[in-house]
Amino acid sequence: MTVHDIRVGESKRGDASDGGADAVGGRLSRVDGPAKITGAAKYAVEQQLEGLAYAVLVESTIASGKVRAIDSKAAEAAPGVLKVLTPDTIISLKTASDWFGTPPPDRPYCPLARDITFSGQHVAAVVAETFEQAVAAAAMVKVSYDETPSIVDLSDGKAGDGIPVDAMTKEWGDAQAAFASAPVRICAAYNTPREYQAPMEPHGLIARWEGDHLTVWEPSQWLDGMARTYAEWFAVPFENVRLVSPYVGGGFGSKALALSHGAVAASAAKMLGRPVRLVMTRAQTFTGYGGRAATRQTVTIGADHDGLIQSIVHRGVNETSIDGMWVEPLGSVTSIMYATPNFSSRQNVVRVNSVVPGAMRAPGENPSAFGIESAIDELAYEVGIDPLEIRLRNYAEQDPHAKKAWSTRQLREAFAAGAERFGWARRTPEPRSMRDGNYLIGWGVAAGTYPVRRAYGEAVVRILADGSVEVESSSIDMGQGTYTILAQTAAETVGVSADDVVVKLGDSRFARAGVSGGSRLAGVMTGAVYKAASSALDQLIGLAIGDPRSPFHALQANTLVVANGRITAPRGDGPDVSIADLLKSVGRDRIEATGDTMPANSTAEDRYKNYTTIAMALPHTEGDYSRHSWCAHFVEVRVDEDFGTVRVSRVVSALDSGRLYNPKLAESQWKGGIIMGIGQALLEEGIVDRRHGRIVNNNLADYLVPTNADIPDIEVISVGIPDLHSSVLGGKGVGELAIVGMAPAIANAVFHATGKRIRDLPITLEKLI
Amino acid sequence: MTKIPVHLDINGRHHELQLEPRVTLLDALRDRLGLTGTKKGCDHGQCGACTVHVDGERVLACLMLAAQAEGRTITTIEGLAREGELHPVQAAFLEQDAFQCGYCTSGQIMSAVACIREGHAGSDEEIREYMAGNLCRCGAYPHIVAAVRQAALEAAS
Amino acid sequence: MRDFSYLRATSADAARQTAALPGAMLLAGGTTLIDLAKCGIAEPDTLVDITHLEGLDRIEIDERGAIIGALATMSHVADHADIKGRFPAISEALWQAASAQIRNMATIGGNLMQRTRCPYFRDPSNFAACNKREPGSGCSAIGGVTRGHAVLGTSEACIAMYPGDLATALVAFDATVHLGDRRILVDDFFLLPGTTPDKEHAIEPGEMITAIEIPSSAAVRRSTYLKVRDRQSYEFAAASAAVGLELEADGRTIRDLRVALGGVATKPWRARAVEDALKGKMLEPEAVRAASLLAVEGAVDHGANHYKIELAPRVVARAILKMGETA
Repeated sequence: MTVHDIRVGESKRGDASDGGADAVGGRLSRVDGPAKITGAAKYAVEQQLEGLAYAVLVESTIASGKVRAIDSKAAEAAPGVLKVLTPDTIISLKTASDWFGTPPPDRPYCPLARDITFSGQHVAAVVAETFEQAVAAAAMVKVSYDETPSIVDLSDGKAGDGIPVDAMTKEWGDAQAAFASAPVRICAAYNTPREYQAPMEPHGLIARWEGDHLTVWEPSQWLDGMARTYAEWFAVPFENVRLVSPYVGGGFGSKALALSHGAVAASAAKMLGRPVRLVMTRAQTFTGYGGRAATRQTVTIGADHDGLIQSIVHRGVNETSIDGMWVEPLGSVTSIMYATPNFSSRQNVVRVNSVVPGAMRAPGENPSAFGIESAIDELAYEVGIDPLEIRLRNYAEQDPHAKKAWSTRQLREAFAAGAERFGWARRTPEPRSMRDGNYLIGWGVAAGTYPVRRAYGEAVVRILADGSVEVESSSIDMGQGTYTILAQTAAETVGVSADDVVVKLGDSRFARAGVSGGSRLAGVMTGAVYKAASSALDQLIGLAIGDPRSPFHALQANTLVVANGRITAPRGDGPDVSIADLLKSVGRDRIEATGDTMPANSTAEDRYKNYTTIAMALPHTEGDYSRHSWCAHFVEVRVDEDFGTVRVSRVVSALDSGRLYNPKLAESQWKGGIIMGIGQALLEEGIVDRRHGRIVNNNLADYLVPTNADIPDIEVISVGIPDLHSSVLGGKGVGELAIVGMAPAIANAVFHATGKRIRDLPITLEKLI
Repeated sequence: MTKIPVHLDINGRHHELQLEPRVTLLDALRDRLGLTGTKKGCDHGQCGACTVHVDGERVLACLMLAAQAEGRTITTIEGLAREGELHPVQAAFLEQDAFQCGYCTSGQIMSAVACIREGHAGSDEEIREYMAGNLCRCGAYPHIVAAVRQAALEAAS
Repeated sequence: MRDFSYLRATSADAARQTAALPGAMLLAGGTTLIDLAKCGIAEPDTLVDITHLEGLDRIEIDERGAIIGALATMSHVADHADIKGRFPAISEALWQAASAQIRNMATIGGNLMQRTRCPYFRDPSNFAACNKREPGSGCSAIGGVTRGHAVLGTSEACIAMYPGDLATALVAFDATVHLGDRRILVDDFFLLPGTTPDKEHAIEPGEMITAIEIPSSAAVRRSTYLKVRDRQSYEFAAASAAVGLELEADGRTIRDLRVALGGVATKPWRARAVEDALKGKMLEPEAVRAASLLAVEGAVDHGANHYKIELAPRVVARAILKMGETA
């Protein structure tokens, strides 16, 4: 629960666009901002609890084999140590269902491993009175192993071709034949490495048991989903588990699921009868959960001499773990970006000795776009057509795969707006044709897209005695601006100032919410709050009209107007009463409404399934339309010809996320995606020691994410229009969109600058000198 | 090892602690004093989230022992606003939307206040370089630059 | 981090004597030592905090040169007007290192004691073999991930790169380290790994760095530090060069040239072959580029770090030519 009680001056609140800053679409400053800029915002593991003990993980140092023995004597004898947990001493848990809710096999689950399938797997944990004691004692735990050969990565000879994922196959026409007969043919392989979400807040939690009730303070993108997993692990009713996550210090896909370290901490808390805090070290965040899987794609394009695509044949591979399954859908953009009469995409997954990869900002679409958006650039040069022009010539007027109309697709508008602002027309087409001293200048373009993931949502809206409005939801804010846009939605719907709305998020005791991932939260939750707030407003007006004690009762009006916290009659005649006074006059201390967007006949079981699994998510091609966000990136790079260093000097991106609930915050998220894309293109790569099967750059000095000095001014332009097929209020996805297409836009710019086509990310200097 | 008395002067308040010498200033702030505004992002001096001021200069609390800070004046994010009035840098961060998740924000703001005071906010390029020690994974950098520029101009006028 | 006791030194002499005791170490800015203690590499029993000692942070500059106290912080030296004006390469090497926060903590003396960033050295629990940590245990880096490892000054025992920037500039300009009364050239203070990579510095128990001294020269007055890296800031060098140039009165003939390399060698690397090849010659781009290739004479790569052999001469040439352009 969070109450933002720090008031700021009017000028700091933000500026108006449609309907004023408070309304949906206004540029209201973050309502959770004051808490964050003063240090008052308490993140999950920052709770001060009586009797808190501290746990530290011990991880495997081999990538494959078995734990032979764990010698914990020295650790147990170390000062302050309360317990050393090993596979032999930790309590037994039950296996939990997956995120589809698939019933789990009936076998015990042990979050500490005996069988090692990757380096960095949790094998033990030490709990002590202080953090320092736990760290010191964890270093004393001696683990011996029987090591077996490991499969390091996709390039390992032992890795093989992997397992076909039939669900990823997309085919129409005769792609092979059309390719063979095409007058122009492009064929190239594109690789992306392991990448890591690296949120600034490391993963961790505090777990506390009271009887058979568990409270978990943990940064979470999905409170109800994680509560379900904890409940199943510990075989307690779902209602007995409370997840609290008031602020989330970045997730980018990595904080959606309960992970084994959470099971360790909650087990330790149960065994000790004390609250336990466990926070991963930064190094552990590289192996304690999965980043983006390494991928390989081949893209072949057959076209005519005018650059019109006749065939695309796409083959993709991503790595997964030895005993887990992660599919990074590599054909997702390939299959919809351009019109083609013939198409074939297939994908395999390959098992390697790694932690199971996970979701990272635009999983699937991101590497997919690197392939197709690089390949079409190659085609452009092959046929001698401007890279922007060739994209327009092959523009898909409908979803080529689903064969359905786009709900909205402002991509042509994005190309036009971006090109105009960037000055694309001034580009000289030849590679190496633009220069500034030692710097080769390159201009590149690429498009991006992300599907509109939809789900049902729920919210509680209360109108309180003082006329203020309270919104409750167990959804979360990890920086997208949930607190703010829900305040705006409730303010506009009820007719009060956003200052008079308190939004409470991040507690699973509140109205349930599904996963905050796949850029779905804003669309789902504004819809749910709109519904709940409308219902609360209806109740308010109903009281004002119908209650004999109301000053409006005598008016015999059909409806009333609520604005700025005051109630008036539509024609302006009659009383002008504040919400607080109305409630007082009718003897009510609150109005409460629960709103959800579930189908009317939904059962309790449906609701549980909807909020704790992703099984009820609505396909983006459901019904008559195909729903996606779109964007076009225009990038300038400066490449030092001698040193091979690439710096992005200018970015103009035009984006179609439909209606923006708060442009100020949406622009921030877009820029964040663009910046993560710059990191992906130029810096980010998990580097594996092939002998140890271990990531060696598992820290923020060696796994390079962009610094402030790496980032130029970035201009973003909204070209979206309201899309009511996509959400109740007309928005489409924001958070993941902008990273999609950034890496190919940069790679294309690097080609234009240098004449070198880099198909393996990241584009580091040794690839260019 | 026996604990030692450590006296810390933080945000104008005096704190007396008994600490093992190995306790860092960061862990003393967060775990002993409940001053959790200062964040732990890497614990190895690689991210800047734990930036605080010691004797007016920005430093990393994760690489400083609490005992080393005795006798020095420590300012954390909680001590920046005076009598409920936001520091101009805080206000500029809010206005420019210079943060998203908020986890690096305390460090960014403490760093920005020092950056301006040091005279290293003379141009956007200089701000970028002298704010490079504070990583932001949400990618608020352009807005951070705008906020520092705005606050620096306010301070100069 | 293992537990230790903490002492505040009351005088430089007391500090030296206490730190000479087994298990004791000097603690200054802590940016290396606390980090390494957390990594399980430094395991002191006692830390002797010298940051409160008075008088060791002075920066004194006269016509003979600069004497910088060991406890002067990197940021104070970098921002010092006379260092910027008369020893530009020193200032530039400093402000391009680490981050503003770290530069406020780290001292000049401590900076010289900075240790390698070799990932195998830094992770004892995963990589037992490291001759730097455990003499005779082997080298995990050889045959491993070597993108950041040295190509110059390596041995079969160790290929760890020296990561610092300041010392690279110091060796270019014949700076000396003051160990109390003993003086030693910075170039001699850093040791090649040879068969004893655990021994990194020519400093004995009971000795403490008290100052560094940089002699004035025309070359250091016209000097620069050029650092090339993947990331624009807050990263160690892929390759760097400290260069100082003095021209004859004709404005074209090279009278004196100083060149040192960073990011490519096991210690700060003076490139005298480049200097000797160009002294007395005209400052011409082609001649400079050809001579700069001598900077990596004898370089040996370990695969992924091969690019450093290509890159380093280009960095040297660019720095020399840049200095040639300044009037």
